[in-house]
This record gives sequence, structure tokens and C-alpha cells, in this order.
Amino acid sequence: MHRNSLTRSSQAWLYIFPALLILTLFLFIPALMSIYYSFTNFNMLSPQTRVFNGLTNYITLLKDPIFGRSLRNIGQFVIFIMPLQVGTALGLALIVNKKRAGNTFFKISFFAPVVVSLAVTSVLWLYILNPEQGLLNGVLSHFGISAQPFLTSPKQAMFAIIGISTWQGAGYQMLIFLAGLQNIPTDVYEAAELDGANAWERFIHITLPMLKPTSVMILTTTFIDAFKLIIQPMVMTQGGPMNSTITPVYYIYRTGFTDRQLGYASAMSVIYGAAIIIFTIVQRRITGDDNNVK
Amino acid sequence: MSNSHKAKIAKTIISTILITLLALLFLFPLVWMIASSMKSESAIYHDLSSYRAFLPAFDINQWGKAYSSLLARFNVFIYILNSLFYGLSVTAGSVIVNSLAGYGFSKFRFKGRRFLFGLLLAMLVIPGETIIIQKFQIARGLGMLNTPFAVIVPALAGPFNIYMFKNFFDAISNDIIESAQLEGAGMFRIYWQIMLPMAKPAVATVGTLSFIGSWNDYIWPLMVLTDSSKFPLQVAITNINNSQPVYMNQVMAILTISTIPLILVYIFFQKYLVQGMGASGTGEK
Repeated sequence: MHRNSLTRSSQAWLYIFPALLILTLFLFIPALMSIYYSFTNFNMLSPQTRVFNGLTNYITLLKDPIFGRSLRNIGQFVIFIMPLQVGTALGLALIVNKKRAGNTFFKISFFAPVVVSLAVTSVLWLYILNPEQGLLNGVLSHFGISAQPFLTSPKQAMFAIIGISTWQGAGYQMLIFLAGLQNIPTDVYEAAELDGANAWERFIHITLPMLKPTSVMILTTTFIDAFKLIIQPMVMTQGGPMNSTITPVYYIYRTGFTDRQLGYASAMSVIYGAAIIIFTIVQRRITGDDNNVK
Repeated sequence: MSNSHKAKIAKTIISTILITLLALLFLFPLVWMIASSMKSESAIYHDLSSYRAFLPAFDINQWGKAYSSLLARFNVFIYILNSLFYGLSVTAGSVIVNSLAGYGFSKFRFKGRRFLFGLLLAMLVIPGETIIIQKFQIARGLGMLNTPFAVIVPALAGPFNIYMFKNFFDAISNDIIESAQLEGAGMFRIYWQIMLPMAKPAVATVGTLSFIGSWNDYIWPLMVLTDSSKFPLQVAITNINNSQPVYMNQVMAILTISTIPLILVYIFFQKYLVQGMGASGTGEK
């Protein structure tokens, strides 16, 4: 009887069908299409002339300096955003976790940028970072710092995007760290304090180890998400100046959508998508997501 | 003793000052955004390097001027309605589509179940961002371009949301289903009248995340919509920011307008956000 109610049902398909149809159409088939197109010279401007061209796209890709540049840029973004954003988030969580006057105000302040969408963030900072008439140069002038070019400089643009992304994203991770911190039982700290451990020792020997699951989760999701950077460069710099902020996802978009070279863009989708998939699978292994999936 | 007490007070004061400065670092762009939307264009430039950059105009009559000129130039109400329409449709639709699938996987045994669920989990790792142009080809092939369907339908199903609903339903005892069946209820009625109400936390989490995701979505609507009368706010913002003549106070006004609804969502639904944090969540995208 117990299994009975569950066994007899091909009507299950009715329940699964809508989701399955949508995922198949807008996720699964596009993924297969990218593989198929990547071996063709498909150009949207002349779709009739589509022929298989073997590995031509992949070979072109290897020699494409802009694709290479986009990989270097995203590498720079990932390397800097990881310690900066996650470290900031942990610091903010530790600050907010302490009982002190004005705590609610601090928590809301740190979280406030999260509420702002990436499109709004990008347009807003475009004005703040304007080299001639921007707010930040106005503020910096009081500290005797000369006007900076920010997004208009190939050297500074990516760092500006890293800073902006940290500003926007750290508050969210602060909340997750905070939830982790509040799960640490207080009697552990009390015992350590009785044993004469100072604040720094307590942080190193209790807080950090106890936060490990939360930290691993935040580090891995930040890592994967960082590879998908597109809106900030798309809105603020269009990949410039001198390709210093072009990212792979943005280059795929430009090649496939703006320039209509679907075949070539698909080869990039395949290579870059496969890299992200591998990272994600490794992440799953590390965080043990696979175990609680079944 | 009193010396160490004094030192403690001094420490508290210093740390509070430092933390307040840090808080201001996070707040200043938003304060400037709102303040600049409430003053004249020339006043924005005039105030740039003084503390008044963070204050609205002294004359209260100036406060609404950028907003009224913005509304006169652009049909902002349409953009707001579009965003609300897309957001609420995606919210309701994704709760239903994903919970139905989660229910199907959780409370039915059928051929191919394990395979399909495995496929679903495999789809979790596909980075949708890298195949957005192929997805566009599908939307075009289905004749969806420049219709609300193109914005709404692809957002209705998500592997993570299905997974979340399945976990929730798994935790609900099958005895409840059996006793409902004994009273003559069909499986759909059980879903609608028993299961879904019991899964309220999952409904709230999926609903909230879906709304925020839809409201903030930028690239996909930008790709599939061509009529500006169908634009959601996020796309309208960059459109307004690129329409000559550009007035900074009007841009700040549209930025403020498009942020307010999300402030409300975060205030009322904040407790459901941390639950859904595994969904993807950070700000990079």
C-alpha cells in the first residue's frame, strides 16, 4: 500500500512536462546547437551559405588575439575579485556580528548596494567615475589626489570594474557569512576565553575552522560567477579601452549577436562553456554537493 | 581599573567612527544618486566637490523637477508596468512550473525518472550565459521575438528551483497523500490543496528569487525586444542614458525609480533570500 500510491503513474509526465519542455528548448537544445554550429561557417547575414568547415573555427580561435585578451582579462578579474570581495564580505560579517550601537544601520548600509541591479550599478558608476565631471575625482581632490582616468584608462578600467563589483556584491555574501557565524555555538568561545585565548587566537582557531563550509561555498560560487562577467563592461566600457575590459561572455555576445558570426561564436561558447562546466564539477566535488543530491 | 575602562571607551568610539566611515563608503554612491535626482543639472556639477553633492536642492520645489521632465520625455509608466508584468508573470509561472516538476519527481515513480532527474542535475552546470545567442535562435524560430513570451517563458523553469521543490516535497510524508487519496482526492488536488500550501517557504524563496532575477534581467530582454514600448526598466535605463540630450538629473531619477521596487521586495522578503543563496546569487553576472 505504501509504495502503491507512488508507483502507478505515468501521469507524472504531465507534471514534469512544462518544465522539461522549457529547459529542453532554452537550455539543452541551445547547448547542442552551439556544438553543431561550432563546426560550421554559419553567418546570420548569409544563412544560406552555411557549410561544415571542420575545425576551422577552433583554429581561428586559437590565433584570435581578442579572445586571448578576453581570457587574460577575466583571469585578472577572477584573481582580484576573489580575495577582495570574499575578504570584504567576511570582514563586514565580523563587524556586524558584534553587538554594538548602530548595528542595524551598518548592516543595511553594507547590504544596500546588493539591492541595486547591475544595469543601474553600471550606469551610476559611469557618472561617478567620469574623469572630468565625476563625483569620485571631486572627492579625491580634497585629499590632494589628482584626477584619475578610471574607465578611460586601459590600466585602470578593469580594476575599476573589480572595485565596483565588490561594492555591489560583498553585502550579499556578508549575509551568508553572518548566518554561518551565528551558527557557531557561543559556549565554544566562552571556553576558549577561559583558557586565555585572545581575540585573534579565537578567530584563527575557532571562527575560521567553523566557517569553513560557508567559506568554501562562497568561494566556489564567486569563482564560477566571476567567469560570467558581462553587464559591467558591456554598459560601462564596451570592452574598451583597447580591449582592456572585454570578457569572454561579452566577446561571445558581440561576435554572435552584434556581428552575426554564429559559427565562430559557437566555437567560443563550446570552449568557454566547457571550461566553466569543468570548474563547476570540480566545485561540486569540493563542496560535496553531489552527496546530498540523491 | 578606571584607566582600562577609559581605554575601552576610547576603543569603542574609534571603532564606531571607522565602521561609520566604512558604511558611508558603501552608501555614498546611492546617496549621491538620490540627491542628484532631486536637484537641477547645473547644481549637480556645481556641488560635485563639496559635501552638498550628497544633499538635494535646498529649494523643495526643485525636488520633483527632474522626475517630471523625465516623465514628460519618456513613457516611464509603461516601463514600470512592463517590468511589473514580466516580474509578476515570471514569479507566478516559475512557482507553478517548478513546483509541478518537483512534485512529479518527488511523489511519482515512473520509467525514466532517475534518468530525467540526472539530466536535470546535469543541466544545472550548463552556463546559460555562454549559449545566449543560440537561445536567441530558438526564440526566433518559435516566433517569440519582440513579444512578452520571449522575456517570460525561458525564465519559467530552472533546474535549481525544481531541485529545491523536490527536496521540500520529499520531506512531506506520503501518509498524507494516502489519506487524502482514501478520501477520494486526485493527485492534482493533492498538489494544489495540500502540497503547495505545505511548501510555502519554498514558494516564497523561489518566488522572491524569480522576481528579483526577472526585474534585474538586462541582456536577454535587450536582445529579444525591439519596440521600446515593451522594454522593462533595466533596458529603458540604458536607452534613456543614450538618448540625446542626456540630463544627469533625469538619469539619476530613472535609476532611483527602478531601484525603489526592489528595496520593497528586499524589505518584505529578506528572510527567504539566504535560503536560496545556493541558486547562484553573487553580483558578478
